[in-house]
Amino acid sequence: MIKNVLLVDDDHEMLIALKEGFQKYKDSFSILLASDGLKAVEGLKKNTISLVVTDLKMPGMDGFELLAHIMENYPDIPVTIITGYSTPEMERLAREGGAVGYIAKPFLIENLARQIMTTLRKESEGGTLHNVSSGLFLQLVEMEQKTCTIRLEDKFSNKKGILFFQEGELLDARVNDLQGENAAYEIFAWDQVNLSIQNGCALKEKRIHSEMQHLILEAARRKDEDLVGDVQPEVMEEVEPFEPDPADIIVAIKEKIEAKLGPSSGVEDIYQDNSWDSRLLQFSRAGIFFNIGELEMGYIDKGEENDFIVMPGENSTVIAVNPKGPRDKLLRALSE
Amino acid sequence: MEGVKGLMLFSLAGDPVYKEFNQAQPEGIESRDWSLFIESLAGMRETDLIFEKGRLYIRRTEIGYLVILMGLFVPIAMMRLQCDILLPSLKPAKAVKGIRRLFKK
Repeated sequence: MIKNVLLVDDDHEMLIALKEGFQKYKDSFSILLASDGLKAVEGLKKNTISLVVTDLKMPGMDGFELLAHIMENYPDIPVTIITGYSTPEMERLAREGGAVGYIAKPFLIENLARQIMTTLRKESEGGTLHNVSSGLFLQLVEMEQKTCTIRLEDKFSNKKGILFFQEGELLDARVNDLQGENAAYEIFAWDQVNLSIQNGCALKEKRIHSEMQHLILEAARRKDEDLVGDVQPEVMEEVEPFEPDPADIIVAIKEKIEAKLGPSSGVEDIYQDNSWDSRLLQFSRAGIFFNIGELEMGYIDKGEENDFIVMPGENSTVIAVNPKGPRDKLLRALSE
Repeated sequence: MEGVKGLMLFSLAGDPVYKEFNQAQPEGIESRDWSLFIESLAGMRETDLIFEKGRLYIRRTEIGYLVILMGLFVPIAMMRLQCDILLPSLKPAKAVKGIRRLFKK
């Protein structure tokens, strides 16, 4: 799932420079821009934001007021402060206000990008799953009594939503400016979703009081009767979502292997094959159960002429390898 | 072996038969439905799953699947070797017929 990072600064040139600088990270996150705190509040209502990076001194609503608004209304969204007027007192106030990061201007764009990536990675620390039925998976979360924050993206509409669980109990849901049960109905009406799981739940207030089963059934009923609103999010200004071309993925893997292992890698073929998707889904779920994070790849020996390295993605990528090849070196090269 | 955090043996139907952990055991192993996971291993002799924070090394045996939970940096060649040596001893218990079943060997 491409994550949205909201940059807030009244310095237009700064915003444009950051947006251009972050182009090379477009396969990891998209950039939305807002020129002051009030516009950021609007942006938060209309989009699913994963991280806010904000300046402090701005006309209208300043960075501290925006930080307070986010902590009260979106406690799951981390905030990083960037400021040209940094003092230890300012940093202390920002940290006490809930900011997870604080960077004084001027800064290297790579440093900010690194901090963004580190923060965003926490969103999916509990694992990522592709093409799953939201209802089934969420019942699993309830059964396993997990405390987590789940971000979902509908495969059909690309809408994004978020669910908050405390020991398997659904506390709240959010889709754009919908909250509570109405948002849950919307999310549970999505048939196929990609989702990422963050351990822990920043939200404490319980806004949903119905049982999960009831919510799922009601969502299905509303969907049948087409009662669920179909409001498309108004994106302020978004970098085009990056959809990697399968051919590019294969070329990138080939190049990586050739660079690390040369011609004696033992690789026979690389292709995409979605018949592996359901197996990889089961493997991913096992990883969630054992709390060992996201599935990166698997090495499979079926006793056939070739062994296989399989990697999850939109479609599973399969590397057929000679069983006598340098297996460990190959896996290490692909992990790096 | 250092880095091995636990091991589980599942029957071919997905029932947990045996488990042992060096650290806090994940909750709900017995109550979780493992059948889909075990089904997804069908036809695989050996499976090495690499996750962000750990690894699951899985071997098919005569009686089911041995699943080893370990850290990222366990020497996998050594793990394979240990399994090659030890797994042949994992065989279904033979039923003893007649009066001999009453005596311990």
